[in-house]
Amino acid sequence: MVEFAIYSIGIGACVFAILSVAVRDIFHSAVWLSLTLLCVSGLYFSLNAPFLGVIQVLVYIGGIITLFIFAIKLTARIGDKTIAQTNNQVLISLLASVVFFVFLLSAILRHPWGRLATVKELPLKELGQSLLTNYMLPFEFLSLILLAVMVGAIVIGKVKK
Amino acid sequence: MPGMGLLLLKGMAVLGFISTSAMFLIWWERKVSALIQNRMGPMATGWHGSLQSVADSIKLLLKENIVPAGADKLIWWLAPFFVVFPSVSAFVTIPFSEKLVPRDLNVGILFVTSITSVCVLGIFMAGWGSNNKYSLLGGMRSAAQIISYEVPLLLSIVLVVMQTGTLSMVEIVRAQAHGWFLLRPHLALAFVIYLISATAEVNRVPFDIPEAESELGAGYHTEYSGMKFAMFFVAEYTNLFIISAVAATLFLGGWQGPLLPPVVWFLLKAYGIIFLLMWVRWTLPRVRMDQMMAFAWKVLTPVSLANLLLSGWLMLR
Repeated sequence: MVEFAIYSIGIGACVFAILSVAVRDIFHSAVWLSLTLLCVSGLYFSLNAPFLGVIQVLVYIGGIITLFIFAIKLTARIGDKTIAQTNNQVLISLLASVVFFVFLLSAILRHPWGRLATVKELPLKELGQSLLTNYMLPFEFLSLILLAVMVGAIVIGKVKK
Repeated sequence: MPGMGLLLLKGMAVLGFISTSAMFLIWWERKVSALIQNRMGPMATGWHGSLQSVADSIKLLLKENIVPAGADKLIWWLAPFFVVFPSVSAFVTIPFSEKLVPRDLNVGILFVTSITSVCVLGIFMAGWGSNNKYSLLGGMRSAAQIISYEVPLLLSIVLVVMQTGTLSMVEIVRAQAHGWFLLRPHLALAFVIYLISATAEVNRVPFDIPEAESELGAGYHTEYSGMKFAMFFVAEYTNLFIISAVAATLFLGGWQGPLLPPVVWFLLKAYGIIFLLMWVRWTLPRVRMDQMMAFAWKVLTPVSLANLLLSGWLMLR
């Protein structure tokens, strides 16, 4: 049951991910991307990590995709078929993605594949406590970054007199 | 596959409940509005018009599916699904009684709030795909409104989570065995904030700017007809039920109550809150867009933050 769910959701995620970069209309891209992220969240749920799955939906679909859509709304020529789908950084990004793919492939090939291990769900209390003890530094660092982002957004968005 | 049958059965039960509840709520809303406006409301079909919704849904099933010329076909077709699927999924963690929960997730309440936030996407897609300026305006307004009111909504839920130390909806109800959370002053304030923001989340009067008939036609679903329109309608009334059910669970002690069976208590509380929201809808006028956004960011959010600080202090004292 769980394996069936993981395989079908995983295939769905791949298909939607390819669609989201392949279609020309950027609004369509955003919709396919949201389905990809939904599938990823489904994977988290089937791997017994519901908290991660819920946060994935809340942050990525509820927050980031909605922001994308607002940004797209403010873009001119959304459905224009004549816009090039690549820019002049195509070679560099191709190189980067090939290197990353090889890295992933080596990790995948080295892993001993067998049946799915059943992972026990981590209690939320433990998760919260470890965030404020073992992982205190990254946690605080992230909040600093978010603060910087907010200040930056206010500075950019401020109307100049 | 083992467990698949049970899963399907649960899914069917949820779908059955959603459609029955939506049909009942539509009829009830018309009756309540008639009562408040001193009219009769639907009377012709069945006893006091009780079969009116059934007749309406059969009519909607048979109606022609009209696609506007110039609509973005893909977005147009997908939008109703994006609106309905979150409302159906949210039922996973809603506890009708101690035993009657489709699945009591550890992250229950967070699951409901996160999955219902997907709805924004569907509403915006409907507004965009219709290729109609009124729909687009409605979609934009709706998205802006839902995002703004999500902040005080989540902050008021956080209060309950702080009080109980759990996100599971069953556990939250159990924590209220010795008195509803509504009876504690700081949580009562959270309840009021929750109700106001939830009303805005489901686009109801006084916050129905996205569907303001007098200026926008019907907002994001103006161009939809037949079954697709029915899906938007069902989603709207299901969301109404979900926010009331969540309010009943978080603040009114869920299924707990004397004498009557737990499910009856839960439904009584949930539909009681729905009645309150209907009463509000047919009594208050509509607010302006800027008033509404200012209210969310300048009043509700600071008040709920202050409330959060206050109750944190109360708990640590």
